[in-house]
Amino acid sequence: MSKPTPEVYERGRGMDAHNQVMRDIRAENDDSYDPHEPTRVWIDEDNTPDGVYQSLTIILNTGGCRWARAGGCTMCGYVAESVEGGSVSHEALMDQIQVALDHEAEEADEQSGLIKIYTSGSFLDEREVPAETRRAIAETFADRDRIVVESLPDFVDREKVRDFTEQGLETDVAVGLETATDRVRHDCVNKYFDFADFEDACAEAREAGGGVKAYLLMKPPFLSEQEALEDMQSSVRRCGAVDGCHTVSMNPCNVQRYTMVDELFYEGGYRPPWLWSVAEVLRTTTDVDAIVVSDPVGHGSDRGAHNCGECDDRVQRAIKDFDLRQDPSVFEQVECECEFTWELVLEEEQSFNTPLAR
Amino acid sequence: MTEYFEVHGRDGAARLGELRLDDPVTTPALVDEVVDDAGSLWARERELPEGAADRLTILPHRAFPPGTREPVRESFRVDHPEIDTPSAAVVSSEEARDVGADAYLLSDANAFVGHASAFTDAIIRTREAIPADTALYLSGVATPRNVATLVYAGVDLVDAKKAKVRGAEGFYLTSEGERFLEDLRELPCACSACQQPIAEFGPRDCAEHNVNALRTELRVVRERIREGRLRDYVEGQARHDQWLTAAFREFDQQYGYVEERAPVVREAELAAASGDSIRRPEIQRFAERVTERYRTEFDGPLVLVPCSATKPYSESQSHRQFHDAIQWRGHLASMTSPIGVVPQELELTYPAQQYDTVVTGRWSADEKEFVSAVLRRYLQRNDYDRVIAHVPPGGYTDICETVEPAVDADFEYTVADHPTTDDSLAALSAALEGEEAYRKRTREHRIVRAMADYQLGEGAGAELFPSDEIQTTSRYPKIQIRDAEGEQLATMVPNYGVLSFTTAGARKWAESDAPSKTVEIDEFVPHGSVLAPGVVDADEAIRTGDEVIVSGPKAFGVGRASMFGSEMRESTRGIAVETRHVDEL
Repeated sequence: MSKPTPEVYERGRGMDAHNQVMRDIRAENDDSYDPHEPTRVWIDEDNTPDGVYQSLTIILNTGGCRWARAGGCTMCGYVAESVEGGSVSHEALMDQIQVALDHEAEEADEQSGLIKIYTSGSFLDEREVPAETRRAIAETFADRDRIVVESLPDFVDREKVRDFTEQGLETDVAVGLETATDRVRHDCVNKYFDFADFEDACAEAREAGGGVKAYLLMKPPFLSEQEALEDMQSSVRRCGAVDGCHTVSMNPCNVQRYTMVDELFYEGGYRPPWLWSVAEVLRTTTDVDAIVVSDPVGHGSDRGAHNCGECDDRVQRAIKDFDLRQDPSVFEQVECECEFTWELVLEEEQSFNTPLAR
Repeated sequence: MTEYFEVHGRDGAARLGELRLDDPVTTPALVDEVVDDAGSLWARERELPEGAADRLTILPHRAFPPGTREPVRESFRVDHPEIDTPSAAVVSSEEARDVGADAYLLSDANAFVGHASAFTDAIIRTREAIPADTALYLSGVATPRNVATLVYAGVDLVDAKKAKVRGAEGFYLTSEGERFLEDLRELPCACSACQQPIAEFGPRDCAEHNVNALRTELRVVRERIREGRLRDYVEGQARHDQWLTAAFREFDQQYGYVEERAPVVREAELAAASGDSIRRPEIQRFAERVTERYRTEFDGPLVLVPCSATKPYSESQSHRQFHDAIQWRGHLASMTSPIGVVPQELELTYPAQQYDTVVTGRWSADEKEFVSAVLRRYLQRNDYDRVIAHVPPGGYTDICETVEPAVDADFEYTVADHPTTDDSLAALSAALEGEEAYRKRTREHRIVRAMADYQLGEGAGAELFPSDEIQTTSRYPKIQIRDAEGEQLATMVPNYGVLSFTTAGARKWAESDAPSKTVEIDEFVPHGSVLAPGVVDADEAIRTGDEVIVSGPKAFGVGRASMFGSEMRESTRGIAVETRHVDEL
């Protein structure tokens, strides 16, 4: 294939375009949020290398992702949930942690062994979460067993990770790798690091005694169902092969407001993946040396991963069951007529006619 | 350059084409079996495919789905390298462009198929951006119900992907609908997939049936194109889905696009069976030419009569009776829906001789409005002292009464009850008492000039065939036109009511100030036909079926256009002109 421009130049142009468009789309949102409240808090169950834990998940409102302010990822609407003005003080962040603890005290019978903190950005970026706040949070949760903090690979630094491991916490950095395929990450997701950076981040986390949980995105825009499926199968394998990456969370893209995906969806050019595709990736990668889980958000709705409407809940239950047991036989127990449609879609759909079925 | 696609026949924007693979495919057609996709560049790097002579290769692509904004399209656009085998390029209708492929596949079809105005815009935008002789391919959208309209709009290639997937989803498709399989009490089809009890008929059978139904519909559509009667079919069939009806109506509003592609003559009948027939480009063009190109030379009264079911009108019993009463003492013009006004000189001219309408005697408001508008324009352009309206009471007289205040001529009504009663005919004859009768020679000369005006443009008749320079021989409707020395210049073609020129006539035309329809060709002498690559230039005004001058450094001749003017200029394949006479220079 002839290439008129060097790859680097081409990437730069694509990135500029994606950023320009994403900025314009995000500008249509004029909501703003209280910096003393976390974006969301919930209690769940999670599979970890040490077994299944009750988990407290906190989406901290930190003023949002710096990359998203430049434009950012084509599917990510979380920036829309960030605060006006962009930065949140130490005191406000600690108020958010308190709200989360209050929520836990109210909703759960016991303390969660696992704490998961996401920021829709990078918890380890000190422009988002100051070092003082990071250490205070590590202390706050010192009595728990495990903690997960979200970060882009650039900010994964052994010293920062050590703030948590020193508290006796099993520490994982959640990295939104999205895909192991650099081309797809760059051109479809508009996320600008390479798989090699992810490998470096895994090495840093290991140095501090921590680990990495890779987050993958199934079916970014511009891919057909089959391409998305293959991208995930190969990504799960490549992540599992990296030392320090002990868990892979493979999540179907959902349609969030004020994103490029939302515009494509609205105009008829995007459909979230089939739940069958999610199940297929999990089923076919059980030999990978890592925990592989998936948590389809908004399953069964037009904006989330879905099948025909009849079987969505059953397939979702099988996926959640697989998350905890890692046993592919859970998928043998769900069947639906729409599997034939899904198979045809895999066979017949190309990026120039997607989506073939709603 | 288009090498592996060729258009062999046209019916408006629809084309009968050939995908020139080792085993050629007659289009419009399903191409599932012959397409190879070299793959998406979004997913990974791709090798430049070699292609194959028996496949249509889709070049490596970055498809922009509907909703992709311009900056993203701009920066991720890929090159479409040329390969030596049949190739298709994936483009968005938002930015279709000529990249040298044989076929163009639109990546945003599933957003505009289903929405009439978006569909119309996308197809016209694309057709204007890609060479006329390339194939237009819509993937993943065709159904038995929509494919006739897709083709009518100018789509050449489709696939069965949507039909299969709908079948899997349990939807049973036919040319007239889409039903949920579970709701069917009987399989409304006799294809091979449907040869079983409905209780045993499952989604796989349904997918197979849907593909069969789509294939069948495409056969119907191809045959309709060959007959020149796709529009007649679409006017009826598209009624089965609102957006399809809206779509062909939207195209009717895009007069520039549809008129350019509408042939000026057809052998086939034109069925004017719905309210939409009035807006067909053929009908609108006839009205336009009658009211803008034609000018009457008769100075006696105008006699307006109702049309007849028999064509040409003059062969009908009623018109013979009118004729016997008029005895050439007035200028006869027929009022008709949906054509408007047909002056007697143009009664053979397409589609006046070919249309067949539904006769009930009831006029719709649309019909009245259209015929009134044409009659008004006709009477404003042509000065008659008297208008004798020999038309039955009702719609016809309503129209006359609507038009009367807007024109100078006085209307006289000669029908009390029915135009062919003895009383009415006597009244008509009496109204013409004392008017001078026209001589046969005068009438024939006027027919020739009227046709020249209609065919070539305003004033062409007077320019080419003034009475003091010509003589007419042979009998109507096969009048031959000769110059004073007896050399033949042109002949009337009775089937379509147009003139066909000899080289002498064409020379006279070329040297005159009459509007030209000239195809300039390269240095060669055509034998039988001029192929598109031999065309150097062609007038914009040329329409399929038009009489054209063929002129080049080595040859001068005359023939009939097989394409429209801009198509001749853009195409690298296909027959541009069927030549009739050629002089080697």
